[in-house]
Amino acid sequence: MTLTYKAQQQQQQKIDAYLDRLRRRLRGFDPSAVGEIVEELRSHILDRAAQSEDMSGEAKPAAIDTALAALGSPEELADQYVTDNLLARAEISRSPLRILRSLFRWGSLSVAGFFVLLGSLVGYFFGVVFMLVAVAKLFHPHTAGLWTFPSGRDDFEFSFRLGFGSVPSGGREVLGWWIVPIGWLGGGALVMLTTYIAVGFVRRYRRSLVLPRP
Amino acid sequence: MKEPDALDSNAADKWEVQLRKGCLELAILAALWDGRRYGLEILRRLEIDSALIVSEGTVYPLLSRLKALGMVSSEWVESDGGHPRKYYALTAEGKRRALEMATIWVRFSSSMSKLLSPLGKETG
Repeated sequence: MTLTYKAQQQQQQKIDAYLDRLRRRLRGFDPSAVGEIVEELRSHILDRAAQSEDMSGEAKPAAIDTALAALGSPEELADQYVTDNLLARAEISRSPLRILRSLFRWGSLSVAGFFVLLGSLVGYFFGVVFMLVAVAKLFHPHTAGLWTFPSGRDDFEFSFRLGFGSVPSGGREVLGWWIVPIGWLGGGALVMLTTYIAVGFVRRYRRSLVLPRP
Repeated sequence: MKEPDALDSNAADKWEVQLRKGCLELAILAALWDGRRYGLEILRRLEIDSALIVSEGTVYPLLSRLKALGMVSSEWVESDGGHPRKYYALTAEGKRRALEMATIWVRFSSSMSKLLSPLGKETG
């Protein structure tokens, strides 16, 4: 079947528009990977259209429409690539920020991901607080540190203080100068442990047979 | 309010979708068992040889995932259609994994079939 030049151009534009929408959504990939994905799908669309032209005698414009519709929305398709890419990078990453970014994405997609995200947030939060207090102790020797306060009759609560403001009455400092080495070692260990566990979960999830997207 | 029947068939549909998705990775590895293929060929293979009706887009991110995991390798090959095609082939690791999954699958499906045999008359 021959097409006029104009009709051919229109088909080309349709394919380009689809691939542009896909490309815009492929964040976090390096350009060569994006090019590879886009070219593979372009090749698929052309082959798929040619096949349905041959098999069902469909006219070319309709064949390309069918091929695009069968691929699904470009945004959804891109999301499937992005999710796996983020988790793949988290797996080899040791950077808490990158891992958290991936976990936010995973957490938005599945219950398991949400709980791993929650656990990691708690782990990183306490790790960072430990280290902050250890630093603050150097600047506020009398008020920063781990304190206990009486609360209720027989109860008391622990509180990390960075040393701003005065200490409420009844407070007692627990670790003294020991907060400096303990804060650094404990906080660092907590951050490392959280990273290690989160990466372990990501790895297990990616190795599992179920697809990353519902 | 949905009719109870509609609700049931909806849940059954969802279950079927999950089941198919779970099998897709093995199905793709199996489709590459006897040689390299490009995406559309793999899709056609899945449609002909199995009841896995796949949304056509799904196969490509999955192939890229299998590649990232080292199960398949890929190369671009010029075609007579005027554009290059990306061909996938199993790596040694992919072959090992496919065999492992196939073994589990066979064991699982035969014990499932035994369990389901009393239901055979009803399902035809």
